[in-house]
Amino acid sequence: MIGRRFFVTLSRSPLLTDTHKTIVVTGVGVVSPYGIGLGCLQTGMLAGKSCLTPTKDLYPGFEGTVAQVHDSALQSEDFSTRYSRTDQLAVVATRDAMTSSDCDRSSFRESGVLMANTVGGLTEIDTGIAKDPAAWFRRPGRLLRGSSFPISHVADAVGEHFGIRGPRCAISVACASGAMSIALAANLLLDGAAPIILAGGSDPLCPFTLSGFNSLRALDPTPCRPFDQNRSGLNLGEGSAVLVLETLAGASARNAKVLAVLRGWAMTNDAFHTTAPHKEGSGLADCIKLSMEMAELTLDDIGYVNAHGTGTPLNDVAEANAYEIAFRGRKHPIPVSSTKSYFGHCLGAAGALEAAITIMGVRAGALLPTLRLTDPIDSSGVEWLRGEVKRQPLPLAMSASSGFGGSNTVLIFGSGLS
Amino acid sequence: MTPNLPPVTITGIGSVSPYGPLAGLIPQRALEPTAITAWTSVGPRRAFLVRPFRPASVVPGLKTRRLDRLSTWALVASSLALQNAGIDLSQVDKSRVAVVFATAFGCIELTEAFYLSAAANGWNGTDPSTFPETLASAPAGHVALFHGLRGPNITVSDKHFAGENALIQAASLIRHGQADITIVLAGDAMVQSLYSWYEVADLLSPACYNSDPLPDVCDSNAGFIPSEGVAALVMESPGRKASRENVRPGARSYARVGAGRWASGGQPAEVIRQMLGGSVPRLTIFSGNGAPCATSPTTAIAREISGDDAVIVSPQLFAQGLAGTGALFHLILALSSQVISGQALLLGTAADSGFAALPLELL
Repeated sequence: MIGRRFFVTLSRSPLLTDTHKTIVVTGVGVVSPYGIGLGCLQTGMLAGKSCLTPTKDLYPGFEGTVAQVHDSALQSEDFSTRYSRTDQLAVVATRDAMTSSDCDRSSFRESGVLMANTVGGLTEIDTGIAKDPAAWFRRPGRLLRGSSFPISHVADAVGEHFGIRGPRCAISVACASGAMSIALAANLLLDGAAPIILAGGSDPLCPFTLSGFNSLRALDPTPCRPFDQNRSGLNLGEGSAVLVLETLAGASARNAKVLAVLRGWAMTNDAFHTTAPHKEGSGLADCIKLSMEMAELTLDDIGYVNAHGTGTPLNDVAEANAYEIAFRGRKHPIPVSSTKSYFGHCLGAAGALEAAITIMGVRAGALLPTLRLTDPIDSSGVEWLRGEVKRQPLPLAMSASSGFGGSNTVLIFGSGLS
Repeated sequence: MTPNLPPVTITGIGSVSPYGPLAGLIPQRALEPTAITAWTSVGPRRAFLVRPFRPASVVPGLKTRRLDRLSTWALVASSLALQNAGIDLSQVDKSRVAVVFATAFGCIELTEAFYLSAAANGWNGTDPSTFPETLASAPAGHVALFHGLRGPNITVSDKHFAGENALIQAASLIRHGQADITIVLAGDAMVQSLYSWYEVADLLSPACYNSDPLPDVCDSNAGFIPSEGVAALVMESPGRKASRENVRPGARSYARVGAGRWASGGQPAEVIRQMLGGSVPRLTIFSGNGAPCATSPTTAIAREISGDDAVIVSPQLFAQGLAGTGALFHLILALSSQVISGQALLLGTAADSGFAALPLELL
């Protein structure tokens, strides 16, 4: 029955009747604390495995809970000495995305690269630069490694590593960056800017961001509890995810396997506060409505929302309010979970990783629960997923991202074309 | 213009640069680099720097305490561009106004300050008010917050073509109905660590180290003079612009922008010809950073597309010093320097055969 309704939904959308205006996902690449690949991520998450662990060694004086990508995951590539850890994560995820698609390497030559991140190559720069930058850069190896600090370097590293010569740039919109790179890639594909775009995000753990979030008292020293009444902050993680995006016309022309359809996307801003979300979640609610308008969906069509769900007191209440507003009038509460409870908040990569997880859920028919959620926020319009994985057909699912500066991005993925 | 993709219109200009904070075109005068006194102790160093000014004296009510200079300039430039466009935001649906900001280095001033605080106090002793302001997207966020703009809010970065990229993304938002008005901003600020990086990498012009007169044309092999500043353009959908003219007949249009292209390699002339769809602009405005000079590949591509009699507006040293974010200043300075109209191409190239091109109709 659900399958039939999905087919009806697909056929009424003009976006899907014009193959040049339908954006599809033909590859997904991931490097996460579970390892390399979507399969690895799926196995770990469906088993309910948390990668969050207590750590002391990330900088002197730091004690907290984080999720780290194991160094062995980064040993599969021959990296340039100019690559920062951010670059390395992005290169590994891109390789995985290219491998997961059935394109041969030459298909990617004219592709675009839109790579989100927030920290760039600051992973390679220590506090020694503060007193005398010129002396710091003159020390052996520093000029080369330090030159990776601009946020655009990640896109350049991916492009150069794989010999890709289409349009490339970095997107940096705090924690909404990864999702926004996918939304902007979709716009560019509709404009014909490139035949294929590799879009995603990459962000590593580093003293700069750990120190920043620590100074804001935003970190939960124990594993985070998104959407719980007793939540007390976020955990940072690291990783990268990259989607291979193209038009359905392009994918069909080479008989590519379609993993998912990007049915709708939207971007808004709260214009409320530099770090806090709008209390009522109005910016995110608007974003959800716009994405559903684009996809021409009704309130009941969405089967699951992969929430931003950081675990901070302000974010989770604002987000619950956004779902109440945006889905008011649904026949049943909207199922929502935060997968940051598995491997933390990966900042500029989070939206891309959560897009990959949403696609995984749609393809596997699996609604992942929020881990450690025992006493959820009161919200009559939301079904907080907790406990066991819920197995059911999931034709359409949404991924929501928000960030400092008030940016929101929502992506809607569908399971396929038949 | 590009076939099948309707152009959008540039209706407002604002800027903060060594010329000062300005609404509209930039009055032409010779610009000399400024001696750096704040942090150099190793001899004379020069750059095109923004002179300090009181933001609230330009934009009444503007509070900029604790902000990076880049955020402050973005706020001032966006306000001046909206003023120049004659847009009263109280009469506009602010959920339909987007911001697209281009930067190469982001809020590097407060990033440097954050490192200083970590060096002095350890990573556990950093300043919480500084951290959010180190994000590259902070200026765009502040512009949205100050003006109450609830449309898409985007920050892009590209070492060569961030400005062109922002123009392309902004026009795309309007064409896809995701915004009616977009404020496009591009710029960077100069700090000690960035200048030191340029210096150690041997990228600077000899003119940075002496007070000799500047060359008339740039020399692609002799480095560049670093610059700072932020330019802002207001872009509107054709329908909105037309309806606004009924209310405000004096509203000016500077140019229409078609769908541009940028790439990191390939065959620029072939891609640009395809983009132009058969039209042949006689005028090329150079953008890009550092390298494009009279003898550079940019000229060759311009001649290949428009013929040997193509009119070329050469780049200005100040705009070349903005690594990757100079495109908006290249365009504004070209519009300011001479009376030009008709079909044109904004064109930048990079040494590795990357390029960015936007079709324009100058009004």
